[in-house]
Amino acid sequence: MIEYAVFFFFAAVAVVFATVVVIHRNPVVGALSLVASFFSLAVMYVLLEAPFLAALQVIVYAGAIMVLFLFVIMLLNLQHQHEPATRPIQQFLGYTSAAAFGVGLIYYLTKYAVLQSPTTPFVAGAREIGVALFESYIFPFEAVSILLLAAIVGALLLSARAGKGPAQASVTAQVDARAEHLP
Amino acid sequence: MLTADNVLGVVKILIIVGALLNVTPIMVWVERRGSALIQDRVGPNRVGPFGLLQSFADALKFILKEDVVPAQANKWLYTLAPMFGLLPALTTMAVIPWGRAFPLHNVRVAGHTFFEQPYLFDPIVTDANVGILVIFALASLGVYGLATAGWASANKYSLFGGIRASAQMISYELSLTLAAVAALMVAGSLRLTDVVHAQTGYFVLFGAVKIPAWNCFSPAMWLSMIVFIVAAFAETNRLPFDFAEAEAELVAGYHTEYSSMKFALFFMAEYMAMAAMSALIATLFFGGWDIPYWNEPATWWASLLTMGMFLMKVIAMLLVFVWVRWTIPRLKYDILMKIGWKVFLPMAILNIILVAWFIARRWI
Repeated sequence: MIEYAVFFFFAAVAVVFATVVVIHRNPVVGALSLVASFFSLAVMYVLLEAPFLAALQVIVYAGAIMVLFLFVIMLLNLQHQHEPATRPIQQFLGYTSAAAFGVGLIYYLTKYAVLQSPTTPFVAGAREIGVALFESYIFPFEAVSILLLAAIVGALLLSARAGKGPAQASVTAQVDARAEHLP
Repeated sequence: MLTADNVLGVVKILIIVGALLNVTPIMVWVERRGSALIQDRVGPNRVGPFGLLQSFADALKFILKEDVVPAQANKWLYTLAPMFGLLPALTTMAVIPWGRAFPLHNVRVAGHTFFEQPYLFDPIVTDANVGILVIFALASLGVYGLATAGWASANKYSLFGGIRASAQMISYELSLTLAAVAALMVAGSLRLTDVVHAQTGYFVLFGAVKIPAWNCFSPAMWLSMIVFIVAAFAETNRLPFDFAEAEAELVAGYHTEYSSMKFALFFMAEYMAMAAMSALIATLFFGGWDIPYWNEPATWWASLLTMGMFLMKVIAMLLVFVWVRWTIPRLKYDILMKIGWKVFLPMAILNIILVAWFIARRWI
């Protein structure tokens, strides 16, 4: 009984906050709503008896990735808290693609999803996932690691100024650059 | 639904929440008197004996103060931010064991006999098999309170505090997690009760000297213990890592615009997070509730003694937090980032390799 109450409460929370992410103007509110949505998803994992996945969901998505998102939004969006109004075509495209994706998802779920619990217990503990990652899926796992490493190196390279190493301006250079813009 | 599990579960939750709510007033007094002791001052000594009631006066002051919301602030997030900050601090203790389990059998209360079937009372709110991951998950959510408060206040200094807090907590979370991995490898489990049980034995030196098998006494753990404790200071935003506040640079950082009970909530969150972190350090490295050189019998009084032992370890760690705050000055922000990524992270990874080697050689 209590599982149903928890499920429907957090399902509602997840859907409402996911909607807020799409329709709210303010990017910070959007990011925080996404955190709430991710957290509700983690509760779903707990209800599915996969607490390990739930903890990883919160640590990786809600805890690490979204903090970085929020960090970047807060860093870049200092002057104007509200995004300037976009062109109508952009709004139209954004809303229709979100709606189309939602409708497609509901169609797929109602048509193909298996809406009953599995007969055998679903095991997704730390050990099982670790064994799967390092035995069955060792190649994709390593490939993803190398891909991420390449992305990091690429980001470093892009942020570096031509021929001057990583982007590290000295304090005096920053102050001089700032002084040029002063009246 | 009135089963022993449910009733005792509520009792455990009340014990933990009650203890955590009392941490703040006591620790505020300890901090103020401790800082006075370290700085050769008297400290608060007017309200009650030794100024013990000072915290109650402070609480009354917080409640009676005007609750100001800045005109430019985002009202919703400004109000929610202190709650974001408090929730992780309150819930972390749920997966930390605070005593040895003992059986309840035929307990007589007011003429009624309870527990005719023996029932094992485990002093932990929920013994999740991913215990420590729950703690890290909640700790990683703690940053939203600070970041949201900084952003929603519509104040430049607050925003700087929030941004600094998010960058700092992301950086030190990695070291914190990797340092804890060493202790988990020895226990072979993510469950914190297993971590404590793995530390209840003894190391025997030269076939004669018995040392408690606490992780802090094992040479393989020293590196990770240092990294974990330093990262714990950074995660709880305490000096020498309190860049989110940094009153010399940012007025009061993320809570510059907060007043009244909302400010008090941040205050409470800081001390509760400190207490939870101290409990985690005691569990991972100092044997949890284990009393050295005593094979605790499975009785209620021995269990009470183990709870007292756990409490003593937590208090000792809290005193270290206070001691360090008033001894070591704040670092520079670039140094914080540099040592976080270039010193503590490699140290934590090296230590994992070291522990793996020790385990492979069956030394621990």
